Amino acid sequence: MTPDDPDLHTLVGAYVLDAVSPDERARFSAHLAWCSACRAEMSELREAAASLGTAQAVRPRPELRAATIASAQLTGQLAPVIARKDIHTGQGRATRRARAIRWVSAAAAAVAVAAGVAVGTHAVDMRARHWRPAAGIVTDVLLAPDAVMRSAPVRTGGMAIVVASAHKHMAVFIAHGLRSLPGTRRYELWLMGPRGERPAGLLAVHQGGMAGPAVISGMSRGDMVGLTVEPASGSLKPTSPPVLMISPQGH
Amino acid sequence: MTGDRQRAWGQPGSSARSSLGPAPRLDDLLTNVARGDELAYEEVYDLTSGWVLGVARKVVRDPAMAEEVMQEVMLEVWRRASRFDPVLGSGTAWVMTLAHRRAVDRVRSERSHSDREMKAATAVIDYDDVTEAIEASLERERVQRCLAALTQLQRECVSLAYYGGYTYAEVAELLGVPAGTVKTRMRDGLIRLRDCLGVPGGHR
Repeated sequence: MTPDDPDLHTLVGAYVLDAVSPDERARFSAHLAWCSACRAEMSELREAAASLGTAQAVRPRPELRAATIASAQLTGQLAPVIARKDIHTGQGRATRRARAIRWVSAAAAAVAVAAGVAVGTHAVDMRARHWRPAAGIVTDVLLAPDAVMRSAPVRTGGMAIVVASAHKHMAVFIAHGLRSLPGTRRYELWLMGPRGERPAGLLAVHQGGMAGPAVISGMSRGDMVGLTVEPASGSLKPTSPPVLMISPQGH
Repeated sequence: MTGDRQRAWGQPGSSARSSLGPAPRLDDLLTNVARGDELAYEEVYDLTSGWVLGVARKVVRDPAMAEEVMQEVMLEVWRRASRFDPVLGSGTAWVMTLAHRRAVDRVRSERSHSDREMKAATAVIDYDDVTEAIEASLERERVQRCLAALTQLQRECVSLAYYGGYTYAEVAELLGVPAGTVKTRMRDGLIRLRDCLGVPGGHR
């Protein structure tokens, strides 16, 4: 079937309803790229389909709000397709950052426990104050029945730990002893596998080369977690060889 | 219960028609989230998590699993916000596309290990599922009315795909109808739904 197959156009309804096979989804997406009439129809039908979903709204349990928002604060964002210069100049970041660090501490303690890593007494005391049992998605991943933990040295220095749940399509990344980078460069996480190389977030490196826990979502079968050094604004594809590759799913 | 945020649950898709609805606001908020604005993200969560949980409940059915899907989707909204382009569609449609796709992926992977297919299929045809504690809303009534205006086959095709998470080929098998017919009924059904709901054509 070629991209201009007239038969393909009738697939628009099934495509909008996610009622196509992965192969058909890919073919139809390719078709959309050059058929502007199809894009217009697709976009209108997508609004109608969205109403089928929004009409079913239910109120989530209030506890989920803080956990989800805290997890987002720990999760890297995809770099914009068009490079922006103002990404890191948002106001009020400092205070929100402090809040995020509380969660980082709690989750870091959890990672340390899960990993059986010895943590200095002082550090444990510091963290115990902020420990919360319901630390959201990070602990959900750590406590997932199918969670798998892997650790490996980072080529340029430091140690990384990945805890992954294939069932949740998520992983938690944490590292210590990472080499500090000049201001123009940053560590970037990647998912690398059969679906290609996808950016999984920029890492902030703290004192002692500590980084994470960072939540990596959208993990699929066969994906490895990679780490590269990129320009500070992040990249859409790795521009340097990985300093770390961990396969969270065994082999 | 005073803020617009709180009330937003009850009137999700007002998006599509009302200029005061959450949609234009959601578009702006998503643009800010793409720049790492965490306060904007909290508002996006308040506006959209109820829709996302709603569609996840319908599709995956299991309440605990639906909550997991909701959390995954809300994280994806944060992570992928830079990919939202208001020229291509509303923020509501963008969030719901992520939500529906993730819910469908989850239910398909579950289903591949289970025999509950036929049970789920018959349950989903009863699309007005009153046993669930779903917020009453005008939007909900409007969508039910528009669904009821479809032909029975259009309605079954659209409902089995959207709420049941079935592919058109599976729907064809479940209904004993040729796959080509199911494809066109899905398209016709959505067009009729769009006309009934008065979804705007172009986007800002």
